[in-house]
Amino acid sequence: MSAETATRTARYAPTGRDYGYTNARVRGMRSRLLKQAFFDDLMSSADIGAVIQKVLQTEYGPELEDRILHGRTATQVDEALKDNMVGTFRKVMSVSNDEGRRLLTTLLGRWDLFNVKTIIRGIHMHLDHAVITDSLITVGQLSQVDADELARQSTVQGVVDTLATWRLPFAVPLREALPEYLESEDLSILELALDRYYYDWAAKKLKGRRENVRLARAFLGTQVDTINLLTCLRLLNSDLPAEDALRFFLPGGVRVTEGLFIELAGMSDVDEVFQRLKRTPFGAPLEEVAIAYIEKGSVSVFERALEDYLFRRAFATSKGDPLGIGISISYLWAKANEVTNLRIVVKGISVGMPVERMREELIIV
Amino acid sequence: MIKNKLAKVAFGSTFLATVAVPAIALAAESSGAAPDWRAEVARYSAAGLSMCVAAISAGYAQAKIGAAGAGTLAERPEAGTNLIVLQALPEIIVLLGFVIAFMIGTA
Repeated sequence: MSAETATRTARYAPTGRDYGYTNARVRGMRSRLLKQAFFDDLMSSADIGAVIQKVLQTEYGPELEDRILHGRTATQVDEALKDNMVGTFRKVMSVSNDEGRRLLTTLLGRWDLFNVKTIIRGIHMHLDHAVITDSLITVGQLSQVDADELARQSTVQGVVDTLATWRLPFAVPLREALPEYLESEDLSILELALDRYYYDWAAKKLKGRRENVRLARAFLGTQVDTINLLTCLRLLNSDLPAEDALRFFLPGGVRVTEGLFIELAGMSDVDEVFQRLKRTPFGAPLEEVAIAYIEKGSVSVFERALEDYLFRRAFATSKGDPLGIGISISYLWAKANEVTNLRIVVKGISVGMPVERMREELIIV
Repeated sequence: MIKNKLAKVAFGSTFLATVAVPAIALAAESSGAAPDWRAEVARYSAAGLSMCVAAISAGYAQAKIGAAGAGTLAERPEAGTNLIVLQALPEIIVLLGFVIAFMIGTA
């Protein structure tokens, strides 16, 4: 194929910083997101067969049709949902302009980070290849084929070497942290190195004074804040000296500074944390789940609350410039939220979970 | 920044075409008994310029609406009729430009 023909047959992709075409398409896609009434109806399904019938009528139909050829099971529905999510994310990237693609690639690096961490965790725990790949969502730069190959490695060292051979950026922090991990067998060393590397890389990529860059940077900063806050809550009562606690601090946050992190990590109970965070945007979401924390006594309650907060911040990005990157960020996070909710319902129905329990588990509808 | 500069240039050109040049032409006409050839040149230039700026502005608006409309059509073909109406709206700018040009030309 000549270069000219290739150029003519290539799919149209907007260039520069014109968001008119991109945002019109993304808004069109957003109009097809599932509504609360659909989830209510889906949760009242008698069995997985009924769920499949209902999901077939939605945007997930084509992927689900392909998957149920292998069996009408919850696993196949789950795979179809993931296929749709990956396809949708790739579609948004393909219709984005140059600036939008660059910003979204940086933000979606979060999923690459998640995938690499999942693979390393799986191999560290000697899990089966199929179990590891089932947990991956390859919406970032890492393709399904790459992720499969990485998950096939028998050791963590193998994963690091493969990443280095492919010259993928995550190989850099992993190679540096590998000797310490091999000596201590402590997985958190590698995870912390990956987190630090990603958020540092992303912060460097999101430098600039343009409105869209600032928006993406602020959203990335909120992500860092939620991770740091969760670390603080996990470090409560640990009696770690400040310099040891600081090892877990991720730079690049908007509100949780190094000083605040040390202060929070040194506190003795959750009430003190609530008091300190009262005047910050994290005060309300954390206080809402305070009773649930007292009942369950698990930090996962806060993890969930901070995740909800992050999703709400992502949805709010679309309320600014109608011709900006916020529309795409908001849609992608809304789509991820929808797929997570659908997976919860599918799993819930397949194990006979009560409707009220499923409703509690849903993130934001 | 570039958008601001573009807006200033567009505003300046429109002001020049619709107010400043016709005013100069009228002033030149009213100052002498016989119409000056310079006044004629200024008048027809003003008429041409007002039409030109209006057409460029409409083209710019239609390009933006067209790009967004193409995106909407790809996802929601049922919105096609509304898009045709929206695509045609900026034509009013050209019509107004034409009316102004006509008024200047026949003044």
